[in-house]
Amino acid sequence: MAQDRAAGELERFLADRADRLMRTAVLLTGSREAGQDLLQTALERLLRHWRRFDGDPEGYLRRTLYNLAADGYRRHGRLQRKLLLLRAAAPPPADPIAEVDLRDALVRLLLQLPPRQRAVLVLRYWEQLSEAETAAVLGWPEGTVKSAASRGLQRLRELADGWRNTEPQLNGERA
Amino acid sequence: MNTEVEELLRDGMERFTAQVHAPAGLAGGAGRLRRQHWRRLAARAAVACGAAAAIAAGVTVAATGGSGAAQAQTVAYVTKRVENALATEKLVFVGRSDGKMGDYVTWAYGPRSRWEEFSGSKPYWAQGTALIGGKLVGAYVTYFDRRYSLSPLGPQETSACSATDALSMGAPVIPTTHWTAFIDATLACGAASVSGHVWIDGMETTKITGKPITVRLSAGYSKVVKEKFATARWAVYVNPTTYLPVRMDGSTETFGGSAGGFTSSFVTNVRWLLPTRANIAQALVTIPPGFHRFYGPAGDQ
Repeated sequence: MAQDRAAGELERFLADRADRLMRTAVLLTGSREAGQDLLQTALERLLRHWRRFDGDPEGYLRRTLYNLAADGYRRHGRLQRKLLLLRAAAPPPADPIAEVDLRDALVRLLLQLPPRQRAVLVLRYWEQLSEAETAAVLGWPEGTVKSAASRGLQRLRELADGWRNTEPQLNGERA
Repeated sequence: MNTEVEELLRDGMERFTAQVHAPAGLAGGAGRLRRQHWRRLAARAAVACGAAAAIAAGVTVAATGGSGAAQAQTVAYVTKRVENALATEKLVFVGRSDGKMGDYVTWAYGPRSRWEEFSGSKPYWAQGTALIGGKLVGAYVTYFDRRYSLSPLGPQETSACSATDALSMGAPVIPTTHWTAFIDATLACGAASVSGHVWIDGMETTKITGKPITVRLSAGYSKVVKEKFATARWAVYVNPTTYLPVRMDGSTETFGGSAGGFTSSFVTNVRWLLPTRANIAQALVTIPPGFHRFYGPAGDQ
């Protein structure tokens, strides 16, 4: 009976908060499927302690999501290496199909940042946490958060400048 | 701080996740995870008692399944990324091929396609899809003799894994419009590999090279071309952000007979256009009034 009650509480909690958590997971991983997988993994960790859990489940799940993501959650070998090969290290090129605007481009660029920088930027600009709060969630020193955020933003700026300086070629003839 | 980038990033993240909702089964999934957790604990307890080899084996299988699921998830990640990129705008494929055998233009949009060869500025023949009575069908038109044939719409290739499919990559007809899945499946089966990066029109593309394939020609075809074998080679250069092709090249070489060998090669440059009504209309074969229908397999004159 106690188990059923605990499960009921968890399901109510998820009904209330799962969308927001899912969005965070999607931002951290870059896709709906990977986000769902990440969230399920975090939930599984919560469930290990659920019956004795008396803290803030959302806070626990968020910390787990971010830490899994920052530790390089994407752990799969061959296909992942292939994916990295396909994403050339070069800045986003003159993209003839890029009809998307810079906001969308920035999110795509965000997904190309290393996991730790991405986690910090999502915490800072999606969750809107301060540097101190971000450091507390990740369990890192504040200086580490500051430098990861700074490097991540700098990289995004460089990529965004490259994007801006790209002449749109859509509908245009090739040289 | 460049607040503009931060603001744009914040807006972009809102947009990116605007339509994201937790799956309905998440709570149920959590329940399943909870039950799995208890089963694992039970299995560990049983193993500790030295009496549960079968259960332990079950746990091992479950762990292996998890790894497979993880790999499937990664495949989905690759595919979904491109789907996301194209979710807002499906684009129209336009390929222009210059080759030893002639010049071709290919238009494709979803299941629609038109592959046309020109003689000077006039269309010589075309194949692809036509809209007949509101239904999409396969179409083949020979403008030079004012005839056409129709056929049921065939499936698109899903990879270049089979010998037949790999062979078709040596010709300038595009095999698919579902490029992401096609490239992914072709890489996964080993029929192609990432072979480097090449700059094309200011873009550092990723080059994917197909494994060359050699086949013995059928007796009938062999008699006509006076050769015994054919080898197809191909490469696709994809945009590293979207994985969509920007160029393809390929060749088919026939050899081993009295004709002394012949190689047809082509280069197709690809553009992706907005799906305007006019652009989408280009992706259909039109049958001019007064043309006569002939019956038989497409291409059979």
